[in-house]
Amino acid sequence: MRNGNETDRFASVVEPHLTDALTLARWLTGDRSDAEDVVQEACLRAFKAIGNFAGGSSRAWVLTIVRNTAFTWLAKNRKFKLVALDELSDDERELLEATSGTNNVVVPTPEDVLISRADLASLNAAIADLSEEFREVLVLRDLQGLDYREISEITGAPLGTVMSRLTRARQRLIRKLTVQEEK
Amino acid sequence: MPKFDSSPETKRSLPILMNAYLDGELDVAISWDLQRQIEADPELAKQTSNLIALKKVLKDKVLPETISSDFHSRIRASIGASQRRPDRRPTWQALAASVLVAVLAASGGTWIALQADTKTIDVADAHMRSLVAAKPFDVASSERHVVLPWFAGKLPYAPKVADLSASGFPLVGARVDVIDTNPVSALVYNRRLHVINLFARPIATAYDTSIQQRTVKGYNVVSWREDGNEYWAISDLNAAELKSFTELFRTASGPVDPR
Repeated sequence: MRNGNETDRFASVVEPHLTDALTLARWLTGDRSDAEDVVQEACLRAFKAIGNFAGGSSRAWVLTIVRNTAFTWLAKNRKFKLVALDELSDDERELLEATSGTNNVVVPTPEDVLISRADLASLNAAIADLSEEFREVLVLRDLQGLDYREISEITGAPLGTVMSRLTRARQRLIRKLTVQEEK
Repeated sequence: MPKFDSSPETKRSLPILMNAYLDGELDVAISWDLQRQIEADPELAKQTSNLIALKKVLKDKVLPETISSDFHSRIRASIGASQRRPDRRPTWQALAASVLVAVLAASGGTWIALQADTKTIDVADAHMRSLVAAKPFDVASSERHVVLPWFAGKLPYAPKVADLSASGFPLVGARVDVIDTNPVSALVYNRRLHVINLFARPIATAYDTSIQQRTVKGYNVVSWREDGNEYWAISDLNAAELKSFTELFRTASGPVDPR
């Protein structure tokens, strides 16, 4: 019976984004039931902080809370190691160089056909295999359609970092999907 | 104006710019330069086509999670919202609908494709026409007070216009289309990367109906009658989100511009 206003605000600010919240949490935790726990906790946080929501994109606001809750949850419930992401692996460096287009072997395979034929299982596996920082920008952009500025706001990473992470995440997926198919 | 030379700096930034270009995040001047560069370089063209294929396959195949009513109740309960909202107690129609949903879920989770009438097929055709056009709308705006006057010169009535961007369904534009030989207003909304067309026209029969959901030509369609108008929302968006879109639209304020 209490908090009528806050409950109504919750219904209009947070509830429309539950699908997005659950999708993001699912990709960050890798598990549906973990994702539900994360979203439930994020909803509680959002409810308590609903007075602080100052307008603007409620979607970005909700996803920021979900994202932070997910990382706190992961730190508490799992031993996961942080990778120094801005160090390129040899593979990636090679790929970046290939992308620049100089003295490059022409690959005869029509890779885009292979990519479009990728099945859901290999797509899921390839996304899940990305490191967390890469995965979150890819999910926010390519599965949830947020723009670069919103992604930067949600992840707290500068715009340039968002752009380079997204680029590398996609390069990894392309490589993975085309290599898998060739086997 | 930047030129793309062969300096190491360019080598590093070119892939990033290509991605931003494909995401529509570059301004037109840089986009133009980059487009020339891609056309001139077969390797870049190949990378571009790979990226386009990747973006498309991700959008088409990797679907969002679905919210079960159990989970929704769990959230409501955890914030103490479940005791409130007696106004939201399910009506018998809603109960009947949820029984239907439960039956459908039990039978494999697919929506029954109801027999499509010719009008709904028209709606699907109009939706497809808008997707193959260069742009699905003739006036690009998320502002009600831009869209409403634009319709005023083209339709003999004022359709209801609501911007739902705060709820994740931004209004991106509008046009006039023809359904069943009648001019109709078409509002174009986005959800993530999906396009939603919302058609409306006045009808003589003045009774309201609850929403009907069906699938036509692979698209989800939600239709209803309200306040003397007939509405169809159509999209490749999943049925549950399309339904919540129509609910948001129906509860949004009416056609009168409050200013």
